[in-house]
Amino acid sequence: MIKVLFFGPVAERVGANTLQVEFRPGMRLHDLHQQMQGLYPAAFEIVCFTAVNGEHVRDVQLPVADNSEVVFMSKFSGG
Amino acid sequence: MNGHAMKAAVRIQQEDFSQDEEISALRASSKRMGGIATFTGCARDFSEGRSVSRISFDAYGSMAEAEMNKLRAEAIARFTLLDARIVHRVGVVGAGEQIVFIAAGAEHRAPALQACHWLIDELKLRVPIWKKEITPEGESWVTSHP
Repeated sequence: MIKVLFFGPVAERVGANTLQVEFRPGMRLHDLHQQMQGLYPAAFEIVCFTAVNGEHVRDVQLPVADNSEVVFMSKFSGG
Repeated sequence: MNGHAMKAAVRIQQEDFSQDEEISALRASSKRMGGIATFTGCARDFSEGRSVSRISFDAYGSMAEAEMNKLRAEAIARFTLLDARIVHRVGVVGAGEQIVFIAAGAEHRAPALQACHWLIDELKLRVPIWKKEITPEGESWVTSHP
């Protein structure tokens, strides 16, 4: 399974903080993004960063390993 | 021992923090420190033309703390600091209360001041924390950081 997390404004638009997504062999970050975007289009209007296992990831072609933690995030507003 | 356990130099916490304690901890790291620059971010009671009573912060805690630790290490290397500390609150912060504290200590003032400015700018860009302003008319997430 892939653990997908949402925070702040994205979590509000999704209506959840955590989702479990079934892992598929050969899955790439782009595939997971597309799948989530299809389910939660309003939330993904504001998604602009992705983290995998706590690290910023810019390459959406990156393969996603089973049991990864993936976070789709909007622009930060800390400080 | 003065009864205070030494707190980590980088922290995310719900409770308020003491600037005196943070600066004392910074000073205790080196007697070569000739300049300490600090930045304190506070919760404004007015934003985008409306009053704000509280601000609520959500964070991707583990990553936020890891990014803040990276920022501290980068600042120490980049500006040749003797030490630096970063504390950010999460949860609900009332108007006028402290949100974030950054302290940078160096042998001389220029690198301390530059590092402090760099740290708060980079924190806003790189650390996964989100703020929601709670107003009498309702609540809204802040999506820009001027």
